[in-house]
Amino acid sequence: MTELASLEVEAARARLLITRMLRVAGTGHVGGALSCIDVVTALYFHTMNVAPERADDPDRDRFLLSAGHKAMAQYAVLARRGFFPEDLLDSYGTLGSRLAGHPDMHKVPGVEANTGALGHGLPIACGMALGLRRIGRGGRVFVVLGDGELPEGSNWEGAAIAGHYHLDNLVAIVDANGLQISGRTADVMNMEPIADKFVAFGFSARTIDGNDMRSVVDALDATPFSAGMPSLIVARTTKAKGIAKIEDTAGSHHWKPSAEELDQAVRELQASIDRLELTGARS
Amino acid sequence: MSTTLIDPRKTFGEAVTDYAAEHERVLVLSADSGVSSGFGRFKAEFPDRYYEFGIEEHGVTGVASGLASTGFEPVFAAIAPFVTLRNCEAFRNDVGYMHQNVKIVGRNGGMTYSDLGPTHYSLEDYAVTRMIPGVVVLSPQDPGEIRGAARAMLEHEGPVYMRIGGPFIPELFDESPFEIGVGRLIESGRRATVVSTGTITVEVIAAVRALREQGIQVDLIGMPTVEPVDAELIRASAARTGLVVTVEEHYVRGGLSAAVAEVTGGLRVRRAAIGLPHEHITTGTYPELLARYELDAESLSRRLRGLIEAAV
Repeated sequence: MTELASLEVEAARARLLITRMLRVAGTGHVGGALSCIDVVTALYFHTMNVAPERADDPDRDRFLLSAGHKAMAQYAVLARRGFFPEDLLDSYGTLGSRLAGHPDMHKVPGVEANTGALGHGLPIACGMALGLRRIGRGGRVFVVLGDGELPEGSNWEGAAIAGHYHLDNLVAIVDANGLQISGRTADVMNMEPIADKFVAFGFSARTIDGNDMRSVVDALDATPFSAGMPSLIVARTTKAKGIAKIEDTAGSHHWKPSAEELDQAVRELQASIDRLELTGARS
Repeated sequence: MSTTLIDPRKTFGEAVTDYAAEHERVLVLSADSGVSSGFGRFKAEFPDRYYEFGIEEHGVTGVASGLASTGFEPVFAAIAPFVTLRNCEAFRNDVGYMHQNVKIVGRNGGMTYSDLGPTHYSLEDYAVTRMIPGVVVLSPQDPGEIRGAARAMLEHEGPVYMRIGGPFIPELFDESPFEIGVGRLIESGRRATVVSTGTITVEVIAAVRALREQGIQVDLIGMPTVEPVDAELIRASAARTGLVVTVEEHYVRGGLSAAVAEVTGGLRVRRAAIGLPHEHITTGTYPELLARYELDAESLSRRLRGLIEAAV
């Protein structure tokens, strides 16, 4: 199986793990987790210099999920990558669990920042990028933002910092699924053109299909896009990608499936894994 | 007490710069506020450890958290409300909840920017910062304590908020090592326990000494740590005197008054709080404001005497 095919299988398996957490908690921020999970998978399995056996390595790359409510995506990928046993996912959302609706760096191996309140990830990522640059051993920082959080002004404070300090060890990825709780992001608060705004702050930007693994990997491989500039990837994605019934709906933002709906989603995602494994084995 | 008046900002900046000369991990972050916070020498001596960000306190607080997570110790100083309220959620989440080794310093605290008005006052900074779990809150009372507190703050592993003022202040005490959470018994007496913090203490000392000349002697505890306060010292004194009065340049809600009430809650003592009334405070010269809100030495002496006599 090619690396690309195996990454696609990994992402599919991570999608299925989200339903495992959903089974326990009954509800969760499914839509955004499923839209960004291809990017998160590529980062942990292909791009980043991280490993569970050296989770505290000071020279490791850092990953921040600024849109912290998409935590189920990070938990699923961290479990697949071996940062903790998959069994821990069965505690998701339960009293005192290490896995809450937003990630906690003090409780979850591999988590670097306590995000959840929106608009915090990029400034923290800038600080990490500045610190890693001072250390000078090549550490990079990857931060996933949601398009719905872009109206938070602190993002643009961070964008100014990244541009001003020429943080070319920083890669910001906007998971642009185009939807948020109240509806279409373009109707709620239009922040387009996203790439142009970041470019104006000094980023070098690319727009890709964020649910197409080849596009994701190609873009990440090309970072930094320009020497001396932070990189921005606008990942155009589909909210709730992988569960047809709720794909591209605002209702998937925080989904509470019936038992039947959940069973159907599991069957659909399992079929997707089977299909990818079959085609991957032939590739 | 010396009559020479000293610049608190310069004192603070020099203390951090001296410490930083021996500790490479210390960085200074500026939101167009570094030099005016006393870091002129730091910037000149360590230009590659001085980061300018322009006017953006939320962003800088997040950056401080990120830098600290990679092993550095950032110090971020600016006008007090901008580093406690403007950035409040970043302070709580990125610094407090993430428990990062970040030092945030609010200068021109209280109502010392008396001509600039409520937007530039910080009369809730003790309350706001001490509500964030794990954050140490310091408010040194004289230049020697500023020097000691700066060093103690930098030696402490974890988030710290420190308030300093703006107007020049006298040396009040012989300089000694600063211990976080330890109070200082400045005067002794059995009629009341007066607890003071920050640079208003110079007025409180004068007030208490005036009372002594009138034959009324009180314990005066200088408490340059607002969180955690010296519970043992305050409780022992309160149990002896039966009356606890706090004095602070802060609203009489949520700050030192609350901290002292919390640690004396189990004692059968009377309590009173002297500070700013819970309203938007007016403008004028700083001495005029102290007099207007009865926080000058003469007013404090009268108010303390009234409280002591009412408690008999």
